Amino acid sequence: MSTLTLRQAPERLDLAGLTPAALAGLSEAEAARLGVGTGRRGLTLGDCFTIALDGSDELRIVGATDRLDRVGAGLSRGRIVVEGDVGQHLGAGMTGGTLTVSGSAGPFAGTAAKGGTIRIAGDAAESAGGAVHGAEVGLDGATLVIGGRAAERLGDRMRGGLILAKAAGAHTGSRMIAGTIVAEEIGDHPGYGMRRGTLVAARHGALLPTFVETGRQDLVVLKLLATSLKDLAPEAAALLRAPMRRYGGDLATLGKGELFTRVG
Amino acid sequence: MTAWIDGQAVERDEAVAAAAALLAGAHSPVIAGLCAEAAAVQAAFDLARAIGASLDPASGAALYADLGALAAGGAMATTPAEARGRADLVLALGAAPWTSGLLPDLAVDGPVRGRAAGRPRTLLALGAPGDGALQHVAYPAGESGLPADIGLLRGLVAGRIAGPHPLADLATRLRDALYGVIVYDPAETGALGAEMLNGLVKDLNETTRCFALPLGDSHQGRAVAQVAAWSTGQGPRVGFGRGFPEHDPWRFDAARQVEAGEVDAALWLAPLPAALPSWTRTVPTVALLGAPKGDEAQVVIGVGVPGEAFGAALWHPRRAAIAWHEATAPQSEAHPAAAILADLQARLSSPAKHPAKNPERSASC
Repeated sequence: MSTLTLRQAPERLDLAGLTPAALAGLSEAEAARLGVGTGRRGLTLGDCFTIALDGSDELRIVGATDRLDRVGAGLSRGRIVVEGDVGQHLGAGMTGGTLTVSGSAGPFAGTAAKGGTIRIAGDAAESAGGAVHGAEVGLDGATLVIGGRAAERLGDRMRGGLILAKAAGAHTGSRMIAGTIVAEEIGDHPGYGMRRGTLVAARHGALLPTFVETGRQDLVVLKLLATSLKDLAPEAAALLRAPMRRYGGDLATLGKGELFTRVG
Repeated sequence: MTAWIDGQAVERDEAVAAAAALLAGAHSPVIAGLCAEAAAVQAAFDLARAIGASLDPASGAALYADLGALAAGGAMATTPAEARGRADLVLALGAAPWTSGLLPDLAVDGPVRGRAAGRPRTLLALGAPGDGALQHVAYPAGESGLPADIGLLRGLVAGRIAGPHPLADLATRLRDALYGVIVYDPAETGALGAEMLNGLVKDLNETTRCFALPLGDSHQGRAVAQVAAWSTGQGPRVGFGRGFPEHDPWRFDAARQVEAGEVDAALWLAPLPAALPSWTRTVPTVALLGAPKGDEAQVVIGVGVPGEAFGAALWHPRRAAIAWHEATAPQSEAHPAAAILADLQARLSSPAKHPAKNPERSASC
């Protein structure tokens, strides 16, 4: 296992492209010259991290802080394990592999990620699985698991994939194009502007006037989803097996999205 | 005296030298405020490029509510002058349009140009009670807030929500108008509400004409957006730390950067009135102010007020464009901020550690 141990982060650092595959072909001296700074200092990987590479497909980042942006961005295979927190754009555009964070993540975790799995043990800031300014899509096929609370606009403009969270703030699933979000609890006005996609929550805040109840549903697809999630997130699987009430929306837009919530 | 260091009055040259020294040693400088004439904003972008600073206008939050919607889905917008000449229906969303000074102009006469010429103009209100002095029809606001109301109206207009509804008549009026205009303040609707509104406008344009009319902010934000666009091809929140303009509305939010301890020096540019952020007294800051007291920052330099002490290119709300404003009280010793910024750039002319190899290269967030 290769290891990067953070010594200092005097400014935000950009770790995009620092994947096991990219580091596999480099000596430690070569890796130390990679630029990671975002300011005038021109900081390199060696300026900020103690580097130990073994060419394996697993990379450990130790002592991470919320100043580390784009950790795991572009990951296509292998595994990155982060001990600590991360900044914005965790796993942006990744297409495969596994990315785990023991702490919390900044905004836009998993943005434009097409494949692979991202696990955040702590909380996620706004727009986890969401689109950045002007981007066409947020999460786009990957799986994003948030052990704690996601802030507002979870899954904003996501086009595909799955998001599981313990809890989420207001406007969960805003502008959603497709995909699935399952959370124990979500805040006010979920699904604002959603076109398609599925939201599942045991509890929710105020609903928009453009969501309409379509009755109690007992859909096979939710049971199948529960089965597929039982190893990844047992609580989410249990929620999906409960009797569900369905709301359709957002009728402000296409209106083919849906919100399932526990009956009673 | 019009210059101060640590609250003590000094000669201007001494203050400018101190400002240059303060910025020269910075690793992550920020140039914020940008509540200034176009020339000074341009000079600020040039200085930022030279010293690797990031920029954030005082109007950042409100401006990005609209820029976010524009970048995400586009907009069909018009200007106050076009609205006055062509609109047979004006819908004021929320409270802000009623304090903007725009609606009384629109209420005095009807459209004189285009397809609605000769028809009466109807003024409608949603989300706020409106002004009793202006004849208008007010529709009830829902409990869910303005963005939810905009979504509801869009659903009604498109026919996805049917049946009797308090806003159904408003939806019919919008569909029947020949040239509708929806006036809103992006700071009030938020980014999601602004995007929904632009969607409503686009839906209406399937069968008739309708346009969004966003109210500008009072801090030159719309002008800053244009200077940023022609200088970097991107929005105003850009950073030159890596030698090329990176656009990142989250990362280059000045207040966030200060709170996170990422800023080691700042320049607050406000020849025109703007609320001073509290951090100018805690972060080593140079303040260029039109109405200085002297204790606002470590280094304070008084500058001329554009459009007052000297003629300047400023945002013209009614034309919705940058336009020349003659001096209303000309001063020969005006000291435009642009000249001081250019002086600072000359003094800090040593390039950043990693100057741009290709200044056209850019990276958006």
